Amino acid sequence: MSAPARTLVVDADVHCAPRSLDDLLAHMDPYWRTYVVEAGIGLSPTQGGAYPARIRPGGEPAHAVDELPVDAAAAVLTCTSTFQSNRNPYYEAALCRAVNDWLLEQWHSRDSRFRVAMVVPTLHVDAAVEEIARIGAHPAVVAVLLPVRNDTRWGTVGNRAVLRAAAEHGLVVTLHAWGRAGNAPNSSGMTHSYLEDYLANSQIVAQGQLTSLVVEGVFAQLPDLRVTVAECGSTWLPTMLWRFDKDWKGTWREVPWLDRPPSEIVREHVRFTTAPIHLPPDPVAAREALDLLDPGMLMHASDHPHDHGDGADRLDAVLTDIERAAITGGTATQWYRL
Amino acid sequence: MTQTLDSPARAGRRTTYTIVDTDIHPVATAASILPRLSAGARRRFETFGSRVPAPPEIYPRVRNSGFRLDSWPESGPPGSDLGLVRDQLLDGFDIDHGVLIPLQGHQWGAEAPEYAAELCRALNDCMAEEWLDAEPRLRGSLVVPYETPDLAVAEIRRHAGDPRFVQVLLATGGESGFGRRRYWPIYEAAVEAGLPIGAHTGGLEQHRGAGWPSFYLEEHVWNGNMMGALITSFLTEGVFAHLPELQLVCVEGGIAWAPALFWALDDGWSLLRDDVPHLTRPPSELLRERLWFTTQPIEEPADPAELATVLRHLGMDDRIMFASDYPHWDFDSPQHTPRLFPAGSREPIMGANACRLYGLPLRGAA
Repeated sequence: MSAPARTLVVDADVHCAPRSLDDLLAHMDPYWRTYVVEAGIGLSPTQGGAYPARIRPGGEPAHAVDELPVDAAAAVLTCTSTFQSNRNPYYEAALCRAVNDWLLEQWHSRDSRFRVAMVVPTLHVDAAVEEIARIGAHPAVVAVLLPVRNDTRWGTVGNRAVLRAAAEHGLVVTLHAWGRAGNAPNSSGMTHSYLEDYLANSQIVAQGQLTSLVVEGVFAQLPDLRVTVAECGSTWLPTMLWRFDKDWKGTWREVPWLDRPPSEIVREHVRFTTAPIHLPPDPVAAREALDLLDPGMLMHASDHPHDHGDGADRLDAVLTDIERAAITGGTATQWYRL
Repeated sequence: MTQTLDSPARAGRRTTYTIVDTDIHPVATAASILPRLSAGARRRFETFGSRVPAPPEIYPRVRNSGFRLDSWPESGPPGSDLGLVRDQLLDGFDIDHGVLIPLQGHQWGAEAPEYAAELCRALNDCMAEEWLDAEPRLRGSLVVPYETPDLAVAEIRRHAGDPRFVQVLLATGGESGFGRRRYWPIYEAAVEAGLPIGAHTGGLEQHRGAGWPSFYLEEHVWNGNMMGALITSFLTEGVFAHLPELQLVCVEGGIAWAPALFWALDDGWSLLRDDVPHLTRPPSELLRERLWFTTQPIEEPADPAELATVLRHLGMDDRIMFASDYPHWDFDSPQHTPRLFPAGSREPIMGANACRLYGLPLRGAA
């Protein structure tokens, strides 16, 4: 294949959100419409404190297709509005169904460049599997979106049916930052500052989720499963894999289904989005950090409307043209089978 | 079955530089603790023991209870026999100074307030009298009832000025983030006594963010994240701003993860200054002045040059201190460890850095 005249762009993480639950009522059955209206339930505008509108990592996501100019051949919609749902698992399932139908009808049908990372209930595995069976084969659906903050680690055996359904439908599992507001960082519980909470996504919970998927043997059982880690950073990966490989050599008896180093499994089955990416200001050190990670692990994301600072520029400054083309679109095109 | 290594004669010193082991785990047996408790606490200990689960109850250590196969004394658990610690570690590797970290403090420090205080006091007294007085190469870490800060302060003050103790021991997991203001009296008392805080992996794990790991392997990989969470809590809650002299030692959490955390903290801070007004300069600058790391369990990439790259990114070779983690299964030997570090940093890491932090004499200077 010769080099394309224009770089193919795929945006692996674009946020949109219903303006309010009113946008979703048409996609709910009468019971849930009544439940929502009579209880006065709303969608958290900050998604449980994850995205205060007036800070740069927050902002107001597009609510309708004409509010979001797309500069990509394909953009994966990640609607995280369901992450901060109430604890009623049946409501969560109804909310997810409504969001998925809203994404397909109000977004993909109006602009087919928008692909859908479908949402599923996190408290009701059977309903999540049913939802994947209902729309997972739709050509617009490319991923199943899961919050990194969850009651249970996604690799645990009780969640396996969700991952299996995703793999059987050829869908990527996208582990995305945030989740329920009550699922604050490990051990420290609730945080006083947004900074501590924000950092916990990349430095704490995402790493726990990734470790879980590997140690539980998910990829041995589901060899076709691909996982995108979105909005959780990436430069922490290489040193975590050093630790993981070393510990595995000492404790392999505990996880007999792991028949090769965890780093090999992660590098085969996992990719990361570029927003945020945390790199040092010195370009030489930034390039070294990137080499440790391997640029092949990265996929471009605008992460609309979130702004995570200078990392994207630091990354761009140290890429070769070939690497840039892969990150901008080549890797994602293959990963999402676009 | 008891296995011991032959004890090499101390006559032939094998290195010219000072060796300090900053993470040795002694165990106090019930026979040493009970006589040091009041009658009430003794009855309670004999009847109920400790209500805080020890880590292996949650994550069994896969083989030999997590200990070196050769570390079991004639009687009692590994780490309970000073003679064997001398033979296998201090004499065996020609170690100048060793810092004791009694992990029983992680459980006992979180018991009911007065009970916790009595247990910690007994453990400190046991260490001082049975270990530190008996073996001048050893120094102690003060265990404190960390979930009851006022009683922890009393225990620190009781030992202030005692040269046998060189730091106050903290866990990485508590009932709240250890940066929370309710814990600050502990750190104020440590500063007042001229002691650093040594935070050793463990304590009260809650796994509230992503749920519980299933395996020891998974939990062990997590140690660096726990340490990162502790540092972030100290930083964002303002402990370092409140106590400009406070030094924090990160024990048994690894090191190589730190640069990526520093970059993330600096990026986040630059976007969110109003959220943490007490942080007036990049977090990485502050942390480079406050943190120390112990080596074990050091991350080992397939290509050792990659570890050198990451240590260069961290730029804290003057604050990294050798640790063996005796008598645990993943013991790092003082013979092997230096080779993992850049040539110019080996001697400081093996001993001189720890001598500077803990006020210990260098070899030949005593």
